[in-house]
Amino acid sequence: MHSKQDKKLKILWFRGVTCNGNTHSFLNLPHLEQLLNRFEILYHPILESTLSLVEITKLKDKCDIFIFEGAYDPLMRRNEVLIGDIVTHYAKNAKHIIAAGSCASFGGIFKASAPQRNSGLIFNEDVEYGPLQSYKDRVINLSGCPIHPEWLSYVLGMILNKKEIEVDSLHRPIELYSNLAHHGCTRNEYFEWKVDADNFGEKEGCLFYKQGCRAPMTHSSCNKILWNNVSSKTRVGTPCFGCTEPNFPLTNLFSTKTNMSIPKDVPVGISKRSYLTLTGIAKTFYIKRLEGKLIDYKRDN
Amino acid sequence: MPKVTKEEKKTNIISAALKLFSEKGFYVTTIPDIAQKVGMSVGNFYNYFSSKDILAKELVMYISEYLGENIRLINEKDISTEKKIDEIVSMYFNMADNRPEMIEYFLRVYLSNREVFGNGCEGMICVSAFVTELMIFFDNGVSSGELQDQDFFSAFGLFMGYLGGMVFLFGEKILPEPLNSYKKSISTNIYNALKAR
Amino acid sequence: MITKEIIEKIEGEASVEFEIKDNLVEFATISFPHFRGIEMILNGKNALDALVITPRVCGICGHAHLMASVRAIEDAYKNAGYEIKNNQKIEKIREFTLIMEIIQNHFKWFYMTLIPELEKLHSTSLVQTPLKGAFAASLAAKAIATFAGQWPHSSYMIPGGITSDPTNIDILQVQTYLQELSLFFENETLGTSLEDFLSFESCKEFRGLNSDFSYIEEKLISLEMHEKGFAYDKFLILGKHSFTSVSKLNKTHAVGIDAKFVNTVEAYSPNQITYAKNAQYKKEYYETGPLSRMMALNFPIIKNMHRRFKDSAYSRVMARIFELAYLLKKASSLATTLTIAESSYNSVVDISKITASGLGVVEAPRGPLLHKIEIEKGIIESYKIITPTQFNIGSSSLKNPTPAQKAMQKLSKEEALFVFRTFDVCSVCTTH
Repeated sequence: MHSKQDKKLKILWFRGVTCNGNTHSFLNLPHLEQLLNRFEILYHPILESTLSLVEITKLKDKCDIFIFEGAYDPLMRRNEVLIGDIVTHYAKNAKHIIAAGSCASFGGIFKASAPQRNSGLIFNEDVEYGPLQSYKDRVINLSGCPIHPEWLSYVLGMILNKKEIEVDSLHRPIELYSNLAHHGCTRNEYFEWKVDADNFGEKEGCLFYKQGCRAPMTHSSCNKILWNNVSSKTRVGTPCFGCTEPNFPLTNLFSTKTNMSIPKDVPVGISKRSYLTLTGIAKTFYIKRLEGKLIDYKRDN
Repeated sequence: MPKVTKEEKKTNIISAALKLFSEKGFYVTTIPDIAQKVGMSVGNFYNYFSSKDILAKELVMYISEYLGENIRLINEKDISTEKKIDEIVSMYFNMADNRPEMIEYFLRVYLSNREVFGNGCEGMICVSAFVTELMIFFDNGVSSGELQDQDFFSAFGLFMGYLGGMVFLFGEKILPEPLNSYKKSISTNIYNALKAR
Repeated sequence: MITKEIIEKIEGEASVEFEIKDNLVEFATISFPHFRGIEMILNGKNALDALVITPRVCGICGHAHLMASVRAIEDAYKNAGYEIKNNQKIEKIREFTLIMEIIQNHFKWFYMTLIPELEKLHSTSLVQTPLKGAFAASLAAKAIATFAGQWPHSSYMIPGGITSDPTNIDILQVQTYLQELSLFFENETLGTSLEDFLSFESCKEFRGLNSDFSYIEEKLISLEMHEKGFAYDKFLILGKHSFTSVSKLNKTHAVGIDAKFVNTVEAYSPNQITYAKNAQYKKEYYETGPLSRMMALNFPIIKNMHRRFKDSAYSRVMARIFELAYLLKKASSLATTLTIAESSYNSVVDISKITASGLGVVEAPRGPLLHKIEIEKGIIESYKIITPTQFNIGSSSLKNPTPAQKAMQKLSKEEALFVFRTFDVCSVCTTH
């Protein structure tokens, strides 16, 4: 007898070198149960699954959607089976391959622990490299450290609806990654008028000039689809660290790299000449509303 | 006689005004003086510039764009930062030689009559083309490891203050030698002061 | 007979090799096979980068790593002669988000680890969905994100304060999340009010409840977990917080201590590669985590439970749930008394001026987490992390077993595997 269960697409979620942050981020998804009910979880390291780790390392089964979390280390073994064999086996038969997070997409943090060896599934930073080159057309990179749960939910939803997911040159869905982290930031007006944040811990000022914010150089929808449906790094005064980009993690993350006070990096697609022209002019004006406190609390309560 | 275009007439006004302002001074020079020098009626002059203040601002932008354009050409060359300094110094001194009114205007009118330029020409607004190009120059120099990373205005002041000072001394006829003979030593000094350590 | 078991459905992966004699565990060695090298990654980086890198040690307790990191850097400032004194607001908000992370951890452990494992032991079908745990945890994460921008992997704590400047709107929002979470806990998990639960004086009072909690309590008793899984009956709390007290306890006798006496020893794992060292206090093994923290406070029910069941698997599990209740109440009180009057951040000298070492100690969900940093002109010379799982679940020899090894002895293999999980294993932290 064929039950409805048999027709559900099978998800297999596998881990490389990881902190499990993508799993825990995904568990924050508000409609997690409704979404998961539409799939069969063949294997997930934490969620209730059809098969155990020992069973899936026998490489007898197939999945429809292969999700990989963590950096790929060719020397890693799971239950004594080389990870390359596991990854290739499931990728070969899967209709969709999802790299969940920056480690699986580009190497991320855990590429750094063995830089000569570790990589993402099909990229090492922005260079094509990794175990799934033969299946790269089926790979979707959901970079981000961690992934946003809604981003993965979007991809799974598109698969359920049998819709084509268009991707950029780094295999990231354009509907999620054509935005910059800057878009929707509550500090945008300060960026427009080039008003720096004097310090951390303030609602006012832009973090691009001193505090190292990478939001204008980072493709992501963090300020459009909010984190935990609540906020984002820049909204709470933390600079964007550019975690969705292939070069994550950079260094000196809390300060802006400048050459003679001129920002080394300027917003994506804008020439430095145009940027500096506009900046110089905007900086000329003193706008009282933007220089003062947004809210002047009587600080005695 | 070929017809003089509107654009050319405007350039003529700018050249004449630059000369008069830098020779006679900004307040002493009148619009009739300028119109007379270009050979047009005062009424026609106002078709080009509606006031003396507006003309004054246009002149600053004209000079800034002229300098900016010349520095941009140097910036875009595939040469070392040291060589770029030589070329910028050279370009600046040639301009002081050939079109002294431009630098004179900048030093004697723009920098000395701030009240004229307060409204609509403050800060970077009128000199943006020139300053932006120097920013690009410094940024490239630090990126390539040839210049020391430091505060922009410290470097800018050292470079342009030095050149402006020399042109001022030259204008005051204090320099014993022609400007050109200082090019090499000044370029070397600037490079030594700014280079990476 | 020797058998090897891969432990999954924990944070990461571990493997346990059992020596079985007469169907009982004679001895177990534990290994954590996956090296990740975070300490090495940090060398040579700007010390502030640790605030971004170390939360990525662990997806479930990264916030504890962030706090250990900021405390370590602030300690280095102090040792370099630039003491940082954070105001009440900064301390309270940091403490609040740390507590919420512990709460999120305990909810997940209860619904996603404990209940499914009990079902397995009891051979009954799963009646409670593990996703309830994810739901409750996501509410706790929302409360964190309100101050910290996001969870997991926030970096909102920095030397001198926090990056956010909350408004009263944020504080009210956080209170709403807490109310919702408390209601969930009362209605779904406990079957009684938080107040009543916290005022219980004897385990017998659990019997009147009809809830997820009473269900697992009965299961634990019927599996005789109150008579199994004993470790050393010695407890260690090292992180300084408003919700516990730094001490070591020999049974119930508490003594003040200092984290500088923590030492590590090589793990004993003759047949398998492991990347974990064992952590000790003055060369002795102690249990850490919720049971230890609850033992350090004077709750009548914890005393009653300990008098009857000592440090059994039952006590370990019950203490974790009790801590959940206690911390929810603590978080509510922090959120209610929080005022925005003070500044969120006070300027500190540039990190490049700092050449010093620093130690940061916090209580993470599973116990003390230590970060030791050595900074040379703002650059990390060395970074060492000791995690709670290294205290609880090290692998030592038969002569001197670690708490988890001791707790697994003389049990059936299945029971031993369950007892192993009552420590709430975090493999990823351990193989940082």
